[in-house]
Amino acid sequence: MTPPLIQLDGVSRTYTTPAGTITAVDNVSLSLGESETICIVGESGCGKTTTGRMLAGLLQPSSGRLLFEGADVWEKKGKDLARFRRAVQLVHQDPYASLNPTRTVAQALAPPLAKHKKAHGRAARAAMISLLERVGLTPPADFLLKYPHQLSGGQRQRVSIARALTVDPRVIVADEAVSMVDVSIRISLLDLLHNLSTEFHVTTVLITHDLAVARYFARTGRIAVMYLGKVVELAATEPLVSDPAHPYSTALIAAIPEADPTITRSKKRVSLKGAEVPSLLNLPPGCVFHPRCPLSEPGLCDVVVPTLGDLPGGRSVACHVALRERQPAAELLGVR
Amino acid sequence: MPVLSVRDLSIEYRTRRGPVQAVRDVTFDLAQGETIAIIGESGSGKTTLAVGLIRLSPRSARVTKGEIRYDDGKRAFDVLSLDAERLRRFRWADCAMVFQAALSAFNPVINIWEQFLDTARAHGMNDKHKVHDRTRELLDLVHLDPKRVLSAYPHELSGGMRQRVLIAMALLLDPRIVILDEPTTALDILTQRAIIDLLRELRGRLGFSTIFISHDLSIAAELADRMLTMYAGRIVERASVEDLFYRPRHPYSVGLMRAVPRVSGALGSVASIPGSPPDLIRLPHGCSYYPRCPFHVEQCLKEDPPLIPVDTPDHEAACIRWEAVAAALGSDAEAPVAEKLA
Repeated sequence: MTPPLIQLDGVSRTYTTPAGTITAVDNVSLSLGESETICIVGESGCGKTTTGRMLAGLLQPSSGRLLFEGADVWEKKGKDLARFRRAVQLVHQDPYASLNPTRTVAQALAPPLAKHKKAHGRAARAAMISLLERVGLTPPADFLLKYPHQLSGGQRQRVSIARALTVDPRVIVADEAVSMVDVSIRISLLDLLHNLSTEFHVTTVLITHDLAVARYFARTGRIAVMYLGKVVELAATEPLVSDPAHPYSTALIAAIPEADPTITRSKKRVSLKGAEVPSLLNLPPGCVFHPRCPLSEPGLCDVVVPTLGDLPGGRSVACHVALRERQPAAELLGVR
Repeated sequence: MPVLSVRDLSIEYRTRRGPVQAVRDVTFDLAQGETIAIIGESGSGKTTLAVGLIRLSPRSARVTKGEIRYDDGKRAFDVLSLDAERLRRFRWADCAMVFQAALSAFNPVINIWEQFLDTARAHGMNDKHKVHDRTRELLDLVHLDPKRVLSAYPHELSGGMRQRVLIAMALLLDPRIVILDEPTTALDILTQRAIIDLLRELRGRLGFSTIFISHDLSIAAELADRMLTMYAGRIVERASVEDLFYRPRHPYSVGLMRAVPRVSGALGSVASIPGSPPDLIRLPHGCSYYPRCPFHVEQCLKEDPPLIPVDTPDHEAACIRWEAVAAALGSDAEAPVAEKLA
């Protein structure tokens, strides 16, 4: 069997702060195949960005391994490491901060082309033109000499994606890549990222707090829901949004306001026991969600830490009750 | 009797390249207890309009014409004609504004109690005990524990708590109108839900009118009675929340509705709006949405269409092609636009 393209194998990341040690990401495992689309979803502080940075090889896990084609990335050296660096690219959230304001689009794209592809002069220009066409900046010649301030937020994000594509990556990790652009153009950027997986077999990982964006982007892929450093649910997108298995994902989906007045005003809610998210410095024992969870059972959930287990339909969930009842939380809470 | 009547309001910014026509001929009424949502992309003029209503615009802005009539049954006046002292009283006492819950909405070096006291004093409430009682009452109202919050500094509170404090502070002088600028942006989903529920509860209890500006259509779907779509500084559609979501008649409203994916129900045919908003210094001749509009005809180039009644007298759109838009959507059923176009 060929190993997955890229894999997080039980990674954790801890930080030492003056107030104590916090575990931002706790024992997360994730395997991604070629041309897969996946979204990592969660609220602020859940560890989704830290997970993304470890996946991109930018942050060394405190424990656990990052594997690329089955080999441990943090043991790679020299050419082998450089090959990994080219294969995995990151697209940042803020297109206003991620482009050098003193460089034109051509000056932003030329150095990686020269370094990694040995493309100079006319060959570089031809490569740039084709990249800009691929990211929908047409006519490309008009954009080559523009500075970032002459571009809209959406256009800048397209330049960032074009720059990531200069080295023919196999994996793109996009952290909140559409949250700073106008709602009216988000779909076109998501389509662009999605097409990278369908047309060019790039594995795309989108990190987002917006479940509607996640559902649209990963409609043929999977969603991982994170809460306080752990993946609490991992499943194919449609079953996850229509019938969430973990009580936390159920509460999130029930709480989301929808752009449809009738649906949004008549949605069934899940009432949580507490509004405050516990501090990472002082995590509750057992399941980290148990103090807020409507399904929590004393003696079980506040004692034993749940691990991801399988429910029918190819979904994984870290919830004692859902796993024991062999039913998704949405059914148990009556909000399907 | 509307509590606020805006007539032909136009606001320009002076820039080196020439005047930016940020708000053009805006007319609408806000009824007692009503909630109006203003939607549009960034640069559509919605924030300029909202800030302009309480004359908080930056110095480079100038109202070129129009009237903002306030009438609460006891007093009636044009906000644009108030002198500095009366304007100061109008702001907060009659019309308060809730900004995004950023730290910058607070004074970082004083605690929450002092923020309340500061605001109260600026508006002539000098009795410390009265202010204290009122503050505790308001914090209870927004479901915050006064003991915990009053002595805290802004940076010690979570985003959701800060937003609750800002809402409580806006209600200090019992205003008739509350303007909310992106009240739930940058908040997590569960916090966002709690703030939406809180706003609904407070509005029901206290009966104030609300204008809110958001690029997030789902907040409008939750809270609005009526909606205004703005494009290039103009109101291009005015409708009830149901009409705007299920039966929009301006192609730009259709585009906005279609650009937002949903979590429940069918995904439908979602799509972005092509192109970008026009340069407000050099507006295109004719309809300013023409270059991005899939419904345009040659006639659209000739003149900027006025708002005209469509379907019902309470529903207006500034589009000569509104019937073609209606035909493209087909059914008038209560289903989202992306589903109808699928």
